[in-house]
Amino acid sequence: MPRQFVPDCYAIDFAKRIRDVQDEMARCNIDVYLGSRLRTLSWTLDAFLPWRSYVVIPSSGLPTAFTFVIDAARVADESWLDGDHVLGFAPMGGQDQITLLSECLAAGLKNGRGVVGIESGMSNYLPEGNLTHYEYERLEDALPDARFVNAHDIVDRLSLIKDEGTINRFRKAGCIVDAGHRAVRTAISDGGYRGMTETEIAGLAAYAMRRAGSEWEWSFTGGNEIATGYRTGLSGGACTPATRRKCRSGESLMVDLHAMFLLGLGDHAHNYLLGRVTKRQRWHAQNFVDLVKLCLKAYRPGTSPSKLADEMMIFCEERGFAEYMVPGFEHGIGMMGDEWRIGMNDGPFPYWTNPDHIYRTGEMLICAMQYACAEENIGFRYENAILITAGGCEIMSRFPLSVDEV
Amino acid sequence: MDKFKYLTPEWAAEVLRRLQSELTQDKMKHLTSSMLTVYQDCPDGKTRGVYYQMEDGVVTELTVREGELPEAEFVISGDYETFARISRAELGSRSALMGGKLRLKGNMVKALSLAAIVDRLNKVMSTVPTEF
Repeated sequence: MPRQFVPDCYAIDFAKRIRDVQDEMARCNIDVYLGSRLRTLSWTLDAFLPWRSYVVIPSSGLPTAFTFVIDAARVADESWLDGDHVLGFAPMGGQDQITLLSECLAAGLKNGRGVVGIESGMSNYLPEGNLTHYEYERLEDALPDARFVNAHDIVDRLSLIKDEGTINRFRKAGCIVDAGHRAVRTAISDGGYRGMTETEIAGLAAYAMRRAGSEWEWSFTGGNEIATGYRTGLSGGACTPATRRKCRSGESLMVDLHAMFLLGLGDHAHNYLLGRVTKRQRWHAQNFVDLVKLCLKAYRPGTSPSKLADEMMIFCEERGFAEYMVPGFEHGIGMMGDEWRIGMNDGPFPYWTNPDHIYRTGEMLICAMQYACAEENIGFRYENAILITAGGCEIMSRFPLSVDEV
Repeated sequence: MDKFKYLTPEWAAEVLRRLQSELTQDKMKHLTSSMLTVYQDCPDGKTRGVYYQMEDGVVTELTVREGELPEAEFVISGDYETFARISRAELGSRSALMGGKLRLKGNMVKALSLAAIVDRLNKVMSTVPTEF
């Protein structure tokens, strides 16, 4: 039997999520759904699945998850499903993933005939997990009378508006990230930054966040992203895995921390100016802080990524720093694995955010902006998970907004 | 010593006798489960099954079946010759599975924890003088 639904502030009714998927499957004439994307696995199973994994959702009843056998017992222990619904695959006769999946899918078809919903497409996010060409071909071979249709929109649609349990997980992850930022600020203050490397800062933040309950510095972009000096100003450089570079006086420091709490994701970047600070550096810093304040005020139901970017870039132009900005102010977010596209796959470029997506109450995203002045070796990043509310937005990380001089 | 013809009722009775006398409940981890090994392409062209029932670490039943085979928690199927080689201890059951010579149906996670027990069963089975 699967675990009982125990209501607490982080609880999510996963059985209802499955029923909602099944209702959509019925509406789309899909007999059985094969989920393979990391976002789908997190959203349906409530467990982190780092190995190639799948979930098979029949037209009624419980789903069955499949993962690498070495991790199946752990997944079953953490998931809401029991051990009979979390199965392991291995390179053994009758136990390889194609055999197990095709048998499970066949059980959801009528004499092998019917429609199998799969997850296909592309992503700029490496661990997306779409069904591979090879997997698709082998499943077609195993189920020659079945028809395969791309059905990822079902999960995308249902996961768009966040429920209370999900939001509370993000709130908690935001608090944890703040603990990491407090630890960094304490460590680098009063000259503490001298001789400290980016990797060291990433590590001390990770330790503080783990102590506060974080499960993982979840980002595939290198965990906690730390940049110093010229690295903060790399053009468009919104990805800075920590290096062994040391902090130096007169330089900027960018601290982008990631925490995970029950698959809810914390993501917040805070910025510093180290040691001697010039007037010009303060000008850059003030531009950045003012832009973030303006952006956070602009997020509300009814706005869109393109509308918001237009508003922000007008401000940047007026203040004379438009050339330092990446003209995008968001990326998507959801439970672990749902990290890139905002909204549905309905934009002019397939599988990228639709710039005219209209935000609705209950959506979450990362408010993100990158200020980078390469010629002056200075830059700042803002990231914070936000919830679109009826009157604007709620920020998940409460660490005070500023560019701190230490 | 007389040899027992493989997959006959006499052979099955001798295997059961040895399993019951040589494997304690502790060695069998007080296992309660059922297993069916399906022998395809037997020398007479037939398919046969050997059904094992285990109760609290005691093998209570070991029978050779033909025709409609019973259901079991774990089903391992393969060629007669593959099983014969395992019974003669010429081939490990694990390597037969890993090489795709045998197919396992059942919960792999549970099967992993039973692998050592199956090895013990096979080891005892290989001691039975058998005519293949």
